[in-house]
Amino acid sequence: MPAKMRLILSSITLALLAACSQVQPWERGYLAKQEMAWDSDPLERALNDHIFFSKEASSGGNTAAGGGCGCN
Amino acid sequence: MKKPASRSLIALSTSALALPGIAEADAPPLTSSLSYKISNYQEDDLSREQVPFGELERYDIDVHQFQFVSPLGRDYALFINANHENMSGASPWFSTAGSNGQPVINMSGASGIYDSRSEVSLGVRYYGARGNIGGAIGYSEENDYRAKYVSMSGSRNFNNDLTTLTVSLSHSDDSIFPSDAERFNRVRHENKQASSVAVSLSQVLNPVASFQTALSLTGQSGYLSDPYKLQDSRPDEKTQIAFSNSLRYFFIEADGALQSDYRYYRDDFGIRSHTLDLSWFQNVTRSFKIVPMLRYYSQSAADFYTSIDDFLKPLSESQSSDYRLSAFGAVSGGLSLVADFGGWSATLTAERYVANEKYSAFTVAQPSPGLVQFTRLSLGVDYAF
Repeated sequence: MPAKMRLILSSITLALLAACSQVQPWERGYLAKQEMAWDSDPLERALNDHIFFSKEASSGGNTAAGGGCGCN
Repeated sequence: MKKPASRSLIALSTSALALPGIAEADAPPLTSSLSYKISNYQEDDLSREQVPFGELERYDIDVHQFQFVSPLGRDYALFINANHENMSGASPWFSTAGSNGQPVINMSGASGIYDSRSEVSLGVRYYGARGNIGGAIGYSEENDYRAKYVSMSGSRNFNNDLTTLTVSLSHSDDSIFPSDAERFNRVRHENKQASSVAVSLSQVLNPVASFQTALSLTGQSGYLSDPYKLQDSRPDEKTQIAFSNSLRYFFIEADGALQSDYRYYRDDFGIRSHTLDLSWFQNVTRSFKIVPMLRYYSQSAADFYTSIDDFLKPLSESQSSDYRLSAFGAVSGGLSLVADFGGWSATLTAERYVANEKYSAFTVAQPSPGLVQFTRLSLGVDYAF
């Protein structure tokens, strides 16, 4: 891994540790809302991934990739 | 002596833990759900200036998506996804110099291309006390392409469930068998493989904010060229790295949530890109939301991209005039209306995507005349039971 990437990852980890506070279970009501989920609409996300995969050169993200397509 | 926790506090904690977002990492869904989404997206026609001869019409695509999610006993969940899409139109075939020396496109499919793709995947996930683990298999078939893939992922919660580490792996084995291969001297049958690993770390920052950072690495090998382009030859290995960061923030006063996602990408074709996605979820009433979305994307060109095909260059040397390998930027904006009626919910989405070399954050040495613009409309329905 390049040194610059290691530095970015370490900085983010430190920033996260510094920023986080102890949030008790009964304080997590807002975090539990659907719009706060990492993937709040799986079908919309899958559709977007597929469309942008067929129009742009970049792919990959928070999870490992699925199958390819012959999108020409 | 330690004072025992009050019954009301225990009840409140238990209720909070049962909320879907919190329980998501450790417990299967409480109910079954069935989702369906129908979408149409249509690429804008090209102009006669861009395409001196032949078809101007590009792809018009209909997509149907189904998802079924169900708890299996106390600790497992089943996921079934099925998609079907139909496409018709034409796509850039090769690129030449026009009378003014600027690149012009020659389109494939004088009488139009018709294709369809069907995909099905099946997944099972186990939910334990401190995390979950699951896997899926999938199969996708087109007239000229077949993909078989498998994936696995596991999450582990730490720090009073405020921190989650997720590792996911996937492998895809694809076959390419182009239509009209003999007639147009295309490859008859080729294969390619892709393997990915991704690691993500999620952290609850406070009662209204959480952050996720992720790194994914994908290796592709095999036939990575486009068999339908007249002069397209790409390396047979590619390594891709994506570094993503996501923030979720709930604004209590506004009763709305911000979803912000940024991704930096690079691969050894020489492409680097930035993607920024912003969505604002505005609760209007208890059962109605408005969600405006904005996305910016920009990529640099592949090392071997050319806007005008060089037919004297041997195919042993890499080159491609595929607009997807050129440097460009793209802006898209959309709006979703979400209505929730108890077990039923419906989502209507409209989106407009415009790619242009002027929007690029990277140097554009050779602009492509084939960049795409499209309009998408989707209607989704979810039913929980």
